Amino acid sequence: MVEKFTTDAIELPPRDRPFKRADLLFYGLDHSGPSYEGRVFIDPRGVGKAADSTHRAYAGRFYIFGHGGCFGEVGHCDLPSDADPFDLRPSHQLEPATRIVTVTDTVRDLLERGAETAKVTVVARSEGRAPNDVLAFETVRLATYA
Amino acid sequence: MSSVSPAAPRLAPRPLRHRRSARRLTAGQQADLRRAIAEVQAIGDDRGYQRWAGIHGLPLPISCVHGDELFLPWHRAYLYLFEKALQDRVPGVTLPWWDWTNHTEGIPGPYARKNVEGKKNSLYDSPIQPSGRENPRQTRTSREPEDADSLPSAAEIERLLAEEDYLTFQNGLESIHAGVHLWTGGTMGRVPTAAYDPLFWAHHCMIDRLWYLWQLRNNGAGVPASQLDRALAPFPMTVRQTLEITQLGYDYAASTAAAKGPGRG
Repeated sequence: MVEKFTTDAIELPPRDRPFKRADLLFYGLDHSGPSYEGRVFIDPRGVGKAADSTHRAYAGRFYIFGHGGCFGEVGHCDLPSDADPFDLRPSHQLEPATRIVTVTDTVRDLLERGAETAKVTVVARSEGRAPNDVLAFETVRLATYA
Repeated sequence: MSSVSPAAPRLAPRPLRHRRSARRLTAGQQADLRRAIAEVQAIGDDRGYQRWAGIHGLPLPISCVHGDELFLPWHRAYLYLFEKALQDRVPGVTLPWWDWTNHTEGIPGPYARKNVEGKKNSLYDSPIQPSGRENPRQTRTSREPEDADSLPSAAEIERLLAEEDYLTFQNGLESIHAGVHLWTGGTMGRVPTAAYDPLFWAHHCMIDRLWYLWQLRNNGAGVPASQLDRALAPFPMTVRQTLEITQLGYDYAASTAAAKGPGRG
């Protein structure tokens, strides 16, 4: 778990391929800890842990409603390693979440400035006095829609 | 993706009950709601407030659904059944919705006052049963709200309502919903304890109302057909049964007024 994470550079869509909308899709988000806001920055030079929506690279935000820890015994919050297709029980409470952040204007702006790739930074801000090192996800994908 | 949702809102055979904006409740409606919540809080068995709040979070199992297709249907069933428990105490009472896009006061007045007319306001806070606490000191609910201007804006909601794909809409609404939990802070800020705060129900009524508004705009789009017969455990309802709120006997109104007719002669 981290408070701030910057991805490797993600390829932007070609300039000659117009789109109506661009989304960042965050897959595999952990929500086992405190609730938090994920502030998303694109082309994030100079983004510190205190950066907010006034930063020039700010692109949007998502929220996670956290479980606040495990209240069971050992193994209670362990995700099953294999999904059984014949298991009709509800999915595990801590199956990773997905969040979508629409970043159309930001991506268009980057393309107009000649960028071909961009890094994405997420900074987590937790509820109350909870620690901020709550951020964990598997993948972020930039998708555009014509 | 194939999907099903009501083609148009259908009127129920009997008069609907209206869920109203929390800010526009009359003094009498507020008094009815306070009484219903207080009476349910006073019941210690499985009809009582602690049992209903505990379904969402602690004690285990945590049954609420977040992060999948059933987030909206599950919470609609939850509100419906809790409202029925309130109506068992005060017939006709309904849950109000907290319009957090109105930034004039943050937490709505009926929920913000510790006392009303010299008595404790049952909408202000609630006890938390020992098995529902994250730690032994957490005997009652609490809030630590942020500045009202940081609540979601009407423009943000309008953009969300314009989404045409159900799963994208639900994902966006769930994120905004989480932000309001975070904004309220305290017990509302975490899954295990959130539903103990009486404000929880008004917040989720707003979420349910936004789903309803989206349904009205998107005839023919909705929950994937493959999900319709899934059970909404632990409730005796399926996803399909949550799709039409008029069939559940309620509607959303900014305010309501009525007058008697001449009778049936």
